[in-house]
Amino acid sequence: MAADFKTAQPVEYYRKFLEKDVRPDGRELGEIRPTMINIGSISTAEGSALVKLGNTTVLCGVKAEVTNPKSEEPDKGIIVPNVDLPALCSPRFRPGPPSEQAQVVSQFMVEVIQNSGCIDPKDLCIKAGKHVWVLYCDLVCLDYDGNVTDACVLALMAALKNVSLPKVTLNEESGNLETHMQEKWGLNILCQPVATTFAIFDDCIVFADPTDEEENLATGKVTIVTTEEDKICFVHKPGGSPLSDDKLQNCLQRSFIRAREARNLVETTLVNVDR
Amino acid sequence: MPAHRSTMGSKFRTRSSSPMELRPMLSEVSVLSRSDGSASFSQGDCCALAAVYGPGEVKVAKELSDKASVEVVFKMKVGLPGCKEKIQERILRNTCETAIAATLYPRTAIDIVIQEMHNSGSFLATCINCVCMAMLDACVDMKYLVAAVTCGLNSEGELILDPTLEQESDLTALMIFAYESSNFEVIATYTTGSFTSDQFQICLIHCREASKHIFQFFRDTMARKLSK
Amino acid sequence: MAEVGSVVLPGDQVRLMINTEDSTRFVTGPGLRRDSDQVTVSKAGILKHKEPNIYWVDSRQKRYIPTKGENVIGIVTMKAGDVFRVDIGGSEQASLSYLSFEGATKRNRPDVKIGDLVFGRLLVSNKDMEPELVCISSNGRSNGMGVIRDGGFMFTVPLNLIRKLLSSDCNLLKTLGHHLPFEVAIGMNGRVWVKGRSVRETIAISNAISSAEFMDNMQIKMMCNKLVDALTGFT
Repeated sequence: MAADFKTAQPVEYYRKFLEKDVRPDGRELGEIRPTMINIGSISTAEGSALVKLGNTTVLCGVKAEVTNPKSEEPDKGIIVPNVDLPALCSPRFRPGPPSEQAQVVSQFMVEVIQNSGCIDPKDLCIKAGKHVWVLYCDLVCLDYDGNVTDACVLALMAALKNVSLPKVTLNEESGNLETHMQEKWGLNILCQPVATTFAIFDDCIVFADPTDEEENLATGKVTIVTTEEDKICFVHKPGGSPLSDDKLQNCLQRSFIRAREARNLVETTLVNVDR
Repeated sequence: MPAHRSTMGSKFRTRSSSPMELRPMLSEVSVLSRSDGSASFSQGDCCALAAVYGPGEVKVAKELSDKASVEVVFKMKVGLPGCKEKIQERILRNTCETAIAATLYPRTAIDIVIQEMHNSGSFLATCINCVCMAMLDACVDMKYLVAAVTCGLNSEGELILDPTLEQESDLTALMIFAYESSNFEVIATYTTGSFTSDQFQICLIHCREASKHIFQFFRDTMARKLSK
Repeated sequence: MAEVGSVVLPGDQVRLMINTEDSTRFVTGPGLRRDSDQVTVSKAGILKHKEPNIYWVDSRQKRYIPTKGENVIGIVTMKAGDVFRVDIGGSEQASLSYLSFEGATKRNRPDVKIGDLVFGRLLVSNKDMEPELVCISSNGRSNGMGVIRDGGFMFTVPLNLIRKLLSSDCNLLKTLGHHLPFEVAIGMNGRVWVKGRSVRETIAISNAISSAEFMDNMQIKMMCNKLVDALTGFT
């Protein structure tokens, strides 16, 4: 009977749970789903990570290549994130060119990397004006159960921490690049941004980490990306119900707490990886 | 259809003037004859043109049974649209969906097209203001008005409202806030750079005050249009 | 708080001048939304009031939203079985049954072709259903409704001009009618059909109507006089 009520009137169904300050999957309003991270599983990639946030699964693989730098920035390397939401992860995506959602999340990743300054592009320079590293970060969603933004940011950060590049030098006489596969170096990660997404329901209730059903019923969304020392690097609220200042403040506080937990999780996982 | 022009006060921004003032605003409504509503809006040198068509016929694939389907297309001056334009379209679309009383027009489409005329810093805010004026001109039922304000933080931590393109290059953080006109709560935000929570709160408060000027400007422009 | 006669924008709260005897009942017209006990404005325009208790916002809109009971001019676009599809300028096409004409029966079908202009009344129209048009009144008479034949010219004007033309204090049609004989049909969907004695007169009348949007009665009189002088000067 509950299943019939849920199909016929999903909004009312949700309201009944929210009156008791709990959600249908048993979580409280501010609780995030259990997170699982697996780092270094793809041996052919320079760095990789798999993140499961509840049922939402995102896999990130980082491939490195040597290329010519952009003429306006000759001593900076390039990082290219790309998010793919294939038809396999959810019935709402059809096969074909990237959907608007995928493009928005890809652009989101570009902004996060730029705003947080987690990697200094000058570290990726081999020879200014001629050769720089380009890191292609491909994020594929394998299972879409809401909140793919948070999972993507976490996967990207974990994968970047896992990246190990061979040392490459330029032989001055021959003009060729020499790769020293035995000397590997990891990226210097200056800070670790973590994203927390909140959904606004019915113009007044805010809850963290929405699932796919909750996202469909939500009247608005806010994503806050924070780095160490409680600095905010991205607040993304694309329209949706208006939010008062104190609710926004609560969201900020909650995201700081979540960011610390997430960073600890990544650290503990990294310790157990042998690379 | 005659166009209606309106300018805001005489607050001109020179290099040495106060950083807490908005750039002078200029707006014309009903500039396009074939659309249901249109407006051109400029803040300083930054200018955008928006057209609203609707509520009109909708493609069956995009039809929503309980409300209007809002679609936004953002056209840049040069180049092909990329991911950056998609995120701006998403912000504009969601902001419009919240402001329009979409449940009054089920199974219809409201199409909004924005053309970039000149980008001179703080462009997303100009677009949001332009779209709000175009929707007022088209007389689409709305719950409230939307106004957007940009503010930046420079390396000394000072706040600059409505920065120009040159000022934008030295900023450590740039924030755009869109407010609604009944309770002045935040509808949309978009930030670049990094900042602390306190800086965020201060910017929020100052931008809210600035948005009241923009709402007054909307009122004056519409009063001039309707007084004929 | 907005006052009657002032410019209002969406989101403004309205203070109603409520009659003390009838303090709870008032009627909100287009442009106003009721929210339990608050009345909020939803369109940009001028707040108007009619005694005793009717309030509405007068706005300048171009797009037509089909409303029940209004007379509209439509263009027949398709014939699907027993029903014609008519474009009335709204988001959906209206349906017009072939039996909704005066004297129509299953044997005696009306002579309606694709592309014809039809003047009818909206019988059914709400936001959730497809609008339905009829060319017949409740007692079976046509009352001027039906297919518009024999030439003429149809053009579109903003909806506030239509309301102005149909109001009793506007003298445009009367003034024009003193000097020139013509037929006119005014649809609430922004469409006006005019037929004069010659093409030149038809165009002159349609220009007069389109340009009268912001004129008051004095200016309309002057404009009509100028128009008639120009016309007689040419013939």
